[in-house]
This record gives sequence, structure tokens and C-alpha cells, in this order.
Amino acid sequence: MTPVKGGYAVDVPVIHVSERARQEHATVWSTFKAFGVTLRRLFTSLFKGDTPTIYYPEQTRPYSERFRGTHILTVRDDGSLKCVACYMCATVCPAECIYIEAGEHPNPEIEKFPTRFDIDMMRCIYCGFCVDACPEEAIIMSREHHQSVYNRDETIYDIEKLMARPGIDAKGPGYRPNRPMAEAKIFDKETQTVCPIPSVIQERHPAVLYESMIRRRD
Amino acid sequence: MPKLTIDGQTYEAEKGKTVIQVADDLGVEIPRYCYHPDIGIEASCRMCLVEVKGAPKLMPACATPIAEGMTIRTNTERVREAVRYAMEFLLLHHPIDCPVCDQSGECWLQDYYMAHAGHDSRFPLGQKTRRRKAFDLGPLVKLDQERCILCTRCVRFTRNVTRTNEIQVFNRGHNSEIGIFEDRPLNNAYSGNVVDICPVGALTSSDFRFRVRVWFLKGTPSVCAGCSTGCNLRIDHSARAVGGGIPGYTATDGKIYRTVGRRNVDVNKSWLCDEGRLSFHALERWPRLRTAMTGGQTRAVIQLLPSIHEHFESIRKAYGDSAVAALVSATHTNEALFLTKKYFEGRVDFRLGREVELYEQRQDDLLRRLDKHPNTRGALDLGLGGEWNGLSGFLRRAETKEIRGMWISFHPQLVGEDAPEILEDLRELIAALEFSVVSTTHDFGWARAASVLLPMASWAEETGTYTNYAGRLQITNRAVMPPGDAQPLHMLMAELLKLSGVQVSHDPDAVFDWIRREVPLYSGVDHDAVGSLGATPAQPV
Repeated sequence: MTPVKGGYAVDVPVIHVSERARQEHATVWSTFKAFGVTLRRLFTSLFKGDTPTIYYPEQTRPYSERFRGTHILTVRDDGSLKCVACYMCATVCPAECIYIEAGEHPNPEIEKFPTRFDIDMMRCIYCGFCVDACPEEAIIMSREHHQSVYNRDETIYDIEKLMARPGIDAKGPGYRPNRPMAEAKIFDKETQTVCPIPSVIQERHPAVLYESMIRRRD
Repeated sequence: MPKLTIDGQTYEAEKGKTVIQVADDLGVEIPRYCYHPDIGIEASCRMCLVEVKGAPKLMPACATPIAEGMTIRTNTERVREAVRYAMEFLLLHHPIDCPVCDQSGECWLQDYYMAHAGHDSRFPLGQKTRRRKAFDLGPLVKLDQERCILCTRCVRFTRNVTRTNEIQVFNRGHNSEIGIFEDRPLNNAYSGNVVDICPVGALTSSDFRFRVRVWFLKGTPSVCAGCSTGCNLRIDHSARAVGGGIPGYTATDGKIYRTVGRRNVDVNKSWLCDEGRLSFHALERWPRLRTAMTGGQTRAVIQLLPSIHEHFESIRKAYGDSAVAALVSATHTNEALFLTKKYFEGRVDFRLGREVELYEQRQDDLLRRLDKHPNTRGALDLGLGGEWNGLSGFLRRAETKEIRGMWISFHPQLVGEDAPEILEDLRELIAALEFSVVSTTHDFGWARAASVLLPMASWAEETGTYTNYAGRLQITNRAVMPPGDAQPLHMLMAELLKLSGVQVSHDPDAVFDWIRREVPLYSGVDHDAVGSLGATPAQPV
């Protein structure tokens, strides 16, 4: 791309703003040209099936493998939380949205586990620093980004929601350590029937994420 | 006074000191694990090696006494190499536990690794020796044998300071480990100190363990209010809003997570008793009083003070000045006591029980004293122990209607329980009075009967001075904010004095300047002179 007189040599389209403005000067003729475009798109989408739109939310565009959506707390093989409550994520979090309370684990080899792990999703800026900081690959992100709720309280995700909300893995994991996860996995309700957080395995309609969705609003 | 040269600088030092003590006095940094100034010398960690001219080998600075004409170098290549190897040996079997280790963030292994070692481990992770993890040594201390570096600080503490010998080194060579005998748990009255002096994460406090990571904490130097000894301590409290808007976390009030002994050679060396160390939990023992109450209604403190002043004035007018008095406690700062004395024109007493008899008596031969109030000596020095004869005297006078209006300021003991007969007497006193104002820290049932109930800041929520049993003036600092509408007593009194026409600053430093002008004992000192370690004012001739 070498600069030549009056612009740049070929490979980049050079737009002369004033020139284009002069060409696109609105006339009656340009109005009909625009109708022509609309008509052409009508026929191509009707008969060729070339639609630029998709049936969202039934269909979605593919998200990146490294999409930074709602967090997931991963589990060990026995279904217990991988997190050891080291507070690295809470320390690095620039939005200060992670709140952890640690407890004594019955197994002295593990020593520490979170009795409370809350993320304030309204405060979170989805930077993914928590994933980078985690020494245990215990927190990863998903490709999910729908967090519509009726009640502000529900934007604070506790352990249960972060670990095993319905459809947690439907869109696949998002931003996570750039290597295969060694010991951690995402909690799976089908195979895992025992869980230290009892409410996780309670039966619920898969479409109903939160109680507020079926609560009548008055 | 031998002269010696450290790193090219010549100093004169006291005979009998060791090299590391001289270096500490001069501010020359020598790394160490096993050396602690108050527990005796072991020279086992080999971190403080220095080069002494004429000596063929490196010498441990903690165990080498100084001599005339000694030339010491602390930063030669030979010394640096020795320290690096010492670190590599200490870390050889140390687990990679830092994320879950409670010491992480204030760990001397972490600090010295970054400063003096920085090596990659040559020992495979899977082959590290495993030892017993996290088990109780006593009610307050947990031991993790894997993390221990065998500096034997805790062993020497129980041997030389408490003389109880609970912690010992067992086995020999590579198998040696710290432990206790099965039938003798570490349950002496000073056990929490081993956690403070442990340079690594081997000994952790069951009380503080896992409650917060230390880098979220802010340290405020203060003084223990648990007894009349006045041990120096550091209050570690929350400094940053972790978790932002998550409910249940109060970012503004602050929260005390632990207290740690602060070295003051003249008062408490580096130690704290366990009762004093855990005394901050007493603030959470009852619900705190957050708003002022009168006649069952909550009101703002600042609105109530004028009406309180008017009530006292009308009682004074009707029955004479002596019908109004104040009962405080020796838990208040000198500043608060002094302003109370000014407002009530000397009709103030602080004696609830037997403080004055007890304040100099020892509970044991280390630190604790029988009087569980921090400022009995200060109240006496301000002349509050007059003819009023304390709580019982006031009660008698109130029952004979000699006294009709009183301000009662009550702060519960941080260590131990308040005697039930004191609370019963207070209840009777309130019942006998026509007009009573009770300022207190917690929402006590007996105080509800008062005409006006005011919330008051407690220890760690106000700045001021305490005078300990020996007359040493020490500053207690505000670490956290008082809850709700609560205010320190000296601020309430300053407002009342303002209503009676005396302009008083809210600043405890300025109040102390006033004390200094009026009380000859304190004429030579001010807050700056007291500083972080306290000062003993010269006795007036």
C-alpha cells in the first residue's frame, strides 16, 4: 500500500467522501433505485432462500469458543465444587463483583471450600480476569448471555446458579484456560445425582430458570 | 561501647548485643526466620548469615555477639549465595499451598523468595514429603506440619515466655516435626501468640482462619481495651469493598477481622493474651444500638442533645447544681472523661465495681491484670474518683432524691462478663432518677427504661488516649466507623458543652491540648509525643 498521487495504490478501496456525497446526491431517480434494491432482496429471499435474518432466539449465530458469557463453576469427578475459595478471582476482579465466604473442608487435603460464592452479574463487566486468575480452573465462562430476570435480587448468582443452572452447557463453554481442562468438568445433572448443594438436583421444568418466571406479577 | 563496621558504615553499639540486633537498630535488613527478639536465640534457619572479617565461615548474625573492631558485610556474593541455598533447602519439601494457605500475603517464605531466592525448584512436585495437614493444637491454633520450616519459634515461645512447654520438636533429622503431646493441648492463656510469630503458614488461628484474605485488610495501630495493662495491638479490619453491592456485606461500616500483637518493649513485648486477642468479638456479642430512643421513639442524636441540655438546666435551676451528675466507666478515653467532667462540673464518677482496688493487681505473671477496664488510672489521674463513691454512692443519693438527673455512660467489658449486681444497680439507679440519659454501645434491656437512650461508639470506633496501670499514656485509634447514629462520648460531650456556651473541638488531639493545660500531670505531652508506642508523663514534683 504505497501512497500515490491522489490516494493509495490499488488493494485498498479508497473512499473520497466528498466525491461519494456528490454522486449520492439525493434525486427522484435514487429513490426508485432504492425501491429496486428492496424488490430484488424480496425475490432472492422468497425464491432462493437467501435470507439475511435468522429465527432468534430459536436460532443463534455461532459464538466464539472464547465468548465471555455467564460464569460456570466447575466440579470435580464426584460432583463437588472445584473451587478452593482462594479469593484470587475476587482479588483481581476490577468490578469487585465477586463475594466469597470460605469454610473448612472436611478433607484436610482440600482444606478450604466456598460456603458462599456470589457474583453480582449487574456489576460484572465480563472481562474474564477471574478465569485467568483461577489456579484451579474452577471458574470458566459460558457462551450464554441471557440474564433477563424479573427481580433485581436474581442478578446475584449464587453457587447453585453458577454451578448447575438449567441449560448451563447448552451453548458450550466459553472463555476458559487455553488448554484441555485436566480435572474439572461442568456439572451434569444426568450423570450426577448426588451433590453437596442439595437444591441443585431438585426437579424443575427445564424452561423455568427462576421462580420469578412463573410467579404472577400484580 | 564497641565500634563495629556494617556494610562500610561504622557504628557504636551496646556491649552484649548480637549482630542482628545492632542491624535492626540501624535499619540494615538481614533476612531471618528463627530469630525473634523476645523468645531467645536458636540460629537454626541459616538465613541471617553474614560475612565477618577474619572468620573463615559465614556467621549467623542472630547468634554472633558484637566485638570491638568487627567488620561485617551483609550483601556480598557469598552471603547472597548462602541465603539462596538456605531458601532452596527450606522450600524443598514445602507444599505449593499458597492459594489455600491462610498465611499467604504475609508469608515470610513468599517475601524472602521474591527478595533473595527466585529459583526454580529442582525437586519434583510429586516426590515432596507429605505430612499431617491442618489439625488442632488447641482451641485457638491449628498446625500444618507440611508447611513448617522448623524455625522453632513456637517451641521457644512456650519454653521461654509462657513456660508451659506444650509445643516440642519430635523425631530427628528429616523426620523431625513440630507437635504436642496427646494429653497436653496448647491451651495456655497466651496460645494465640504462636500464630503471630510463626513466619509461615504452619500455625494458623482457628478464629481468623479463612475468614478473609490478609491483603484485603488494613492495619490500624491501637491499644487493647481488655484490661488495665494496655497491650499494644494492631486492628486488622476491612479496607476495601469486596463484593461490592452483594447484600450482607457492609462496605461503609467496616469490620474487624482480627487483632495482632504490636511490639512495645515497655508494655507487652510482642504478646497479647487470648482474651484480649479475641476481645473484639465482644462487640458482636449483643446487637448494637444504632439510633437514639426516647419514650419508645427513635430520634436523631443531634436533635435530642438540646432537649437533654434543657432538662439538665431545668433540674439545676429547680434543685441546685448538685442534683445533676454523671456516671461514666473507666472504658472511656481520657478525652471523653475530661469533657464529661467539664460539662458536669466535676460531679462525675467512674467506679462501677472494684476497679480502683484491682487495677494494679496482676492476674498472672505475664500480662493480664484483674481490672478489666483500660483507663482506670487515667480516670483517677483526671480526678474523677471523688467523694461520690461510685455507682453505689450515686444510687443512694438518687434514692434520697439528692440527685435527680444523671447521664449514665456504659460500655460493657470486652473481656469477661460485667458483674450482674452492677447491671442490677444501674437498673435501680435509672428507676430512682427523674431524668436519666443512658449512652451505651449495645442495645441492653436494662437501659431501655432510661428517659433518653443514646448510641455510643465503642472501642476501635473512637480515637483517644488511655492511661494504663503504670501511668503510660497510649493512643487508641479508630479503625472502623460506629454503626448508625452512634458517636464517641467525647463528641456528645463537646456538643453539650457547645450548648452551654463553651466552644470545644471534636478533634481528640485538640481536646487533649485542653487536658494538658488543666491537668499538671499531662503538661509535658501531647498526641504527637505519645506516638504509636505511648509515653509516660513525668511525675509532677
